[in-house]
Parts: sequence; structure tokens; C-alpha cells
Amino acid sequence: MAELTTTKLNAESHLLLDQPLLRMPYELSRRNFKTAQRYLERERETLLASLQTAARESAKSSSPSTTLESLDTMLSRLQSLKRKLEALHAEEMKMHASSKARLNHLQDLYDVGSLVDVKYDEWSRTRLSRLLVDYLLRSGYSKSAAYLAAEKGIDELVDVEAFVQCHKIERSLREAHRTNEALVWCQEHKPSLKKVGSQLEFELRLQQYIELVRQGHESFEGGGGGGAGTGKLVEARVHAKKYLSGNGDMELMGKAAGLLAYRPWDEVEPYASLYAKSRWEHLAHLFLSTHHTLYSLPPRPLLHIALSAGLSALKTPSCHSAYTSSSANASSSTTTVCPICSTELNELARNVPYAHHTKSIVENDPVVLPNGRIYGRERLTSYNDKVGTEKGWVRDPVGGVNGDRWKEGEVKKVFIS
Amino acid sequence: MDDLKEHIDQLQSESNLSQSICDVQKAIDLLTTARAKVAADPQMAPVTLAKLQEPVRKSIEAANNDLKKVHKGLGAYGKALDRRFKDKPLPTAENDALSSHPQLINRAIAMHLLREGQFSVASTFIEEANAHPPQPEPTPATPNPYLQEAWEKDPANGTFDSHKLQQQFKDMYHILHELRQNRNLSPAIAWARERSDVLEARGSNLEFELCRLQFVCFFIGRDEDGMMTEDSADGPLRAWAYARSEFGPFQARYGREVQQLMGAMAYWENVDDSPYRRYFYNNSAWEEVATSFTREFCSLLGLSADSPLYIAATAGAIALPTLLKLQNIMKEKRTEWTTQNELPVEIPLPPSYHFHSIFVCPVSKEQSTDQNPPMMMPCGHVIAQESLDKLSKGARFKCPYCPGESHPGDAKKVFL
Repeated sequence: MAELTTTKLNAESHLLLDQPLLRMPYELSRRNFKTAQRYLERERETLLASLQTAARESAKSSSPSTTLESLDTMLSRLQSLKRKLEALHAEEMKMHASSKARLNHLQDLYDVGSLVDVKYDEWSRTRLSRLLVDYLLRSGYSKSAAYLAAEKGIDELVDVEAFVQCHKIERSLREAHRTNEALVWCQEHKPSLKKVGSQLEFELRLQQYIELVRQGHESFEGGGGGGAGTGKLVEARVHAKKYLSGNGDMELMGKAAGLLAYRPWDEVEPYASLYAKSRWEHLAHLFLSTHHTLYSLPPRPLLHIALSAGLSALKTPSCHSAYTSSSANASSSTTTVCPICSTELNELARNVPYAHHTKSIVENDPVVLPNGRIYGRERLTSYNDKVGTEKGWVRDPVGGVNGDRWKEGEVKKVFIS
Repeated sequence: MDDLKEHIDQLQSESNLSQSICDVQKAIDLLTTARAKVAADPQMAPVTLAKLQEPVRKSIEAANNDLKKVHKGLGAYGKALDRRFKDKPLPTAENDALSSHPQLINRAIAMHLLREGQFSVASTFIEEANAHPPQPEPTPATPNPYLQEAWEKDPANGTFDSHKLQQQFKDMYHILHELRQNRNLSPAIAWARERSDVLEARGSNLEFELCRLQFVCFFIGRDEDGMMTEDSADGPLRAWAYARSEFGPFQARYGREVQQLMGAMAYWENVDDSPYRRYFYNNSAWEEVATSFTREFCSLLGLSADSPLYIAATAGAIALPTLLKLQNIMKEKRTEWTTQNELPVEIPLPPSYHFHSIFVCPVSKEQSTDQNPPMMMPCGHVIAQESLDKLSKGARFKCPYCPGESHPGDAKKVFL
């Protein structure tokens, strides 16, 4: 049988929630490096080529001004390459510093001996702040997230910047119905997207096509002459040929082609759902999930994961019971309110399973009052001492000083195994 | 952890872009010199340019080659990360019951921020959350989440009034600040006095504890605001005056304690060497009073003393390894767990995480619920209702734990 309680802290398995913490800066610095590589590669080729041309040119014609000019162009290109690399270098060092800070933060856990150590408490509070910032960022509440991170001094442990970028793109899809930002992002992440076989770019191109067709149909109807409408439809066809035809999904292609014949307001399936505004929602979702997979982020906020597990571990059948629990309630100072019963989490915990127990957990020396309430004898006595119950009598802490009182003899021992 | 740190050190000190930047700078220098030469001596331009080719090519190639080291460094770090987290998959979205209630999560977060005293973060958050309400997502338990679940709506307590709550917690922090930083008891005493009936009914001795501490303060020579007075010999006199005016109502319930304090008056010159020393030089007294104040304050609001969000998230992190193991086993055996409303495994938590008493029926091994409550037989043994029904079948029966016989009608429902 499993042990009922534990104070042992196994740092190794305790870090389950913390993998994304290290993954994110790693992925970011990898991307940073790739960008540097691309810049350097491109500049190297142009530079060497133009240097050769310059040498050839100057050998042929002896005009020094053209030579100087081409040297100047090369210089300015190199200068700009250097500036770009320096910016990337600064970014890279920032990433490494934050990785280092995160490693140190995790290392701190290894130095904590047990779950009841004050140091664990402190560490866990920092973790909660991290989880909260992560949740806020994912919900798009970036101002609050940055604020909280700054207040708690955990800027290096959270990825505000990356999420802000991500949400800018997501909002441009969801709210502004624009594909440009997302397409730029796709371009930047092309190799990785290809590796995971992402459909994001295709879906974006398809949306562009749908919008062109929509505009085409609308300008036919708008009475602006057929010319503009036809123009749009032709543009749509060219767009489809260029970006969509390589996909290979013939059924989808058929549907897409059908759009040319059906207008947005025709309400004929499957075309209506292609024209639907909800496709933008779908694109926003697809972008988010693609982004999260690419950066090794879990699909749901870590706070959800921690909370679901925590709510279940703490929940008891008493937490949503119609009867006041004798052992944890707000009505006397001898008990504390259970976190699941507290307003913050009570509703949230309604749908999660409660914890499994194989053994009763009760206070020492339990006694029962005539009204059926069970207390540990010590707690009952201490409560009655504190409220100043008359000698020889007993009151129920839940009933309070104005509730019933009984003779001490009526308090009976109860056996709970 | 150490191997990862080594890799990061390596990346920070060597395997980064700085070398490439140096090499690009070299190329720039070469070109600048060449340009000066061409400008000074146009006739020699072809020669200068021809001579330039090789060094520039070299330095730019070098810049490119330097990247290899960075690539290797990053690769090594990535591999080390993979190794570290090899058998620790990213937590999945399975068993997520929360995505359908983002409003409730938001409320829990807002309340958490308020009770932590992060008032400005909380108001920024409430503003942002109101401007962009979250989108509930369906979960297995709630396939059709409530779309119009209003942010302020609180099914349990009417409405979640963030302003009122904020004011309340502001008061709490003000009082705590005065207590801890300024050693000023007046706001706390005023608060407790206003609620002295409620506190008394709860069996809380907070008011007396506060007044006793005030007495001690006077005694050792502080004034009402917690400042040290110049003439500390006045202290006991002031304390005496305070006791006469304030301790009257406490006489009935705290007679003994008051007597002890009065007894200390006799030692006013050398209380340090007296048996009463522990009342007067107890540094933890302030922290104890502050803790008990926080507890009472939150309890009167119907809230738990420590942030539920903190406790739940911590318990979650402790529970996660066990739950993950369970998930793996279930996947392997292709079983599903049948009782959806109870976890299939026991999760060991530190004792401070047990709040309610738990009753597990010794006969059926099931936890008691509202539908299946614990029943006490006249002999004092307790079993669950369903077990009782099965054992007795409505007629007299013997207790499974002692020779006592009883009628099922004599069994009494008990509350733990």
C-alpha cells in the first residue's frame, strides 16, 4: 500500500513541470543562430562575387571612381552585416544568461531537503509566479504578465517577449483578419515547419485565396462593373496555381475551385464553411498550436496542468457536501478553511475527481456530540475553554456560543478504524 | 544540472557569435585599407584589388567557420537537455477539466493577486481580462462550456466584487504592515474590537493577545505608535494605566493571564531576571500575532488563510509524478479507470495538506459521501451507510468489530 503522507522531495521527478522552462530559451537561441548563419552565408557569396567583379572591372577600365564606388558598397554591406550580427549576439547572450538563471533556479530545488522545508515553500511560490505569468501570457494578458514578472523579480525565468510576438500574430489573424504577419513568421521558420509537416502555411494561402474570391464576388454584386470582379477572380486563380496546387489534396482543391462558382452568401456547403468567419478563429488556433509545438511548449497552460492535479489531490467528498465539515470550516478559530472549500477554487474543483484514500484520517481520540458531529477531544476541549463554556458543559464549535450545549457526559467516544 | 551548466558556460564564454563578428571586422578593416590605397594611388588599383581577394576571402570564410563551433555548442546543449528530460515527457492536455472554465481561473488568479497584496498587478489584470474575455474550450467533462459565463458572476457568493475585496485586503495589509514594520498595534486592536463579538464566538483570543502585547509594549517603554519613549522608567506606569482601562472586559475569560501580567508589575525593575521574562522578551510574539490576525481576517471573509491557488499548485506539482506514472500504466494495459469521480491512486501529500478528516468505511473500503454517509452504531463503531444496509438487511445485526448487536434504525449519521 502506498504511504499516506510524505515529506520526501524527489527533485528529479519534481521537475516535470519545468521542462519548457529550459526548452524555450534553447529553441530561441537555436533560431537566433540560424538567422546569423543565413545572414553570413548570403553576405559571403555576394561579397566574394562583387570583389571579383571589381577586380576584373578595374583591370579593364582604369576609372578609379567606379572601383571606389564598388568598394564603398561592399563596405557598407559588411558594416550592416556586422551590425546585424552584433544585435544577434546581444540577443544570444541574453538567452544564455536567462538559461543560466533558470538552471540556477532549478538547482535550488536540489538543495531543498524536504517538502516541509521553508526553502521549498519559497521555491514553490516562485514557481507559482512563473506558472501565473505563463498563464497570463498564453491568455494574451501581456501587460499583467510583464507587471507580475517585474514585481516578483523573475524576468529571467519567463518569456514575455516571445509570447508578445506570438500573440501579435495571433491577434492579427483573429481580430484583424490579416495573413501577412503569420506568413512572415512561416517564412522565418520554414525548415522547422517542413520537418513537422505543418499545414499552417498552406492554410494561410488558402485563406488568401478565399478572400480574393470573396472580393471578386462582392465587386460583381456591388455594381462596380464586372471588370474589378473578374480581375480579382483571375488573381485568385493565379494565386491558387502558385501556392495551392502543390498540396495534393484533390478533394480540398475541388472545393476551393468550387468557390469560384458559389458566392459567399449562397449558404451552400461545403463552400459556406470555407467562406465562414470562423475560419479565422481556426487559423489563429492552428497558428498557436504550431507555435507551441515548434518551441516545445505544452498545448495547455502549465497552470492548468498543475491545478488539475492539485485540485484532485486535495479534493475530498466533504468539499462539495451539503453538510458543514467538522474538521475544516470557517466558523471557529480552531479549524482552517480548506483551500478547495475557499471561494477561489470551490467552483473550479466541482468537475475534477476527488482524491483516493484507503485509510481514514481522523484526529486523535475522536468523540461524538449528541448532534452527530465528531471532533478530536483535544480540539473540542480547547475550543470550549476559549469561548468560556460553563464548567461541565460542552458546545459544538460549528454551532458556536449561541448554539446548543450538552452535559459533558453526553460526549461519547467513537471508534473509527 | 551540472552538465547543463557547463554547456551554458561554454556557450557564454566561447561558442557564440563574437568570433564571427571579429572576423567580419577584419574583412572590413582589409577593405578600408584597400580603399584608402586605391584613393591615394589610382594607378595601382588593379594590383591592390587583386591582392585583396585572398585575405578577404579568408577572413569571411573564417567568420563562417566560426559558426561551426556555435552550432556544435548548441547541439551539445540540446542533446544534454534531451538526456535530462528523456523519460519526462511534456505534460499533456489529458484530463484537463479546467479549460472550460477560464473565467473561474481568472477569478482565482485575481483573488490570489489581491490576497498577496499585488494590488496594481491585480487591477491591470482585471482590466485586461475584462477587455479580452477568455474563450472557454470544451473538455471531456464539460463538452459545451458556458459561453456567457460573466467575469463578475460568482455562483457561490453572488458577485465577485473586486473593488470591495481589494479594499478589504488593503486594510489587511495596512494592519499587517503596522504590526510587522512599525510595531504599532492600534489598527489591529481597533479592527479586533469592532468584531469582538464574532471573534469571541469563534473562540478566538486574538483581541486579548493584541491587548496583552500592547501592555508588554508599554511596559518595556514604547508609546502607542510603537516608538520608544525617552524615559523608559515610565513604562510600567503606563502599562499599569493601560491595564486598568482596558483589561476589564477580559477579566472573566482571561483572569489567569491578566493576573500573571499584573504579577509582573512587582518585578518592574528587573523583569529580565524574573519568572515573567517569557512574556516580555518574546520576539516571535509579533509574528504569531500577525499570523493569527491573518487567519482570522481571512476566515471572517470565508477564505482560507494561505492562498488556495498556491496550495493547489504546489500539491499539483507533488502529485504530478504519481499521476503520470498512472497514465503510463493505464496506457500500457489499455485500461480506463472506471470511477470518474475518484482518482484511482492514492497521492501522498505532506500532512499539512490534509484539511478535512477522511472516513473510509472499514467494510467497503469506500470513502463516505453525502449519499453514503458514515453511520455510528450504538457501540461506537462507524461504518458507511451502504455497508450497514448490506450487513443488516433491515434486521438486527452484529457489529463487524465487536460483539454488540443493534438494529439498523439505532445507527446514527455522524459528521467528520
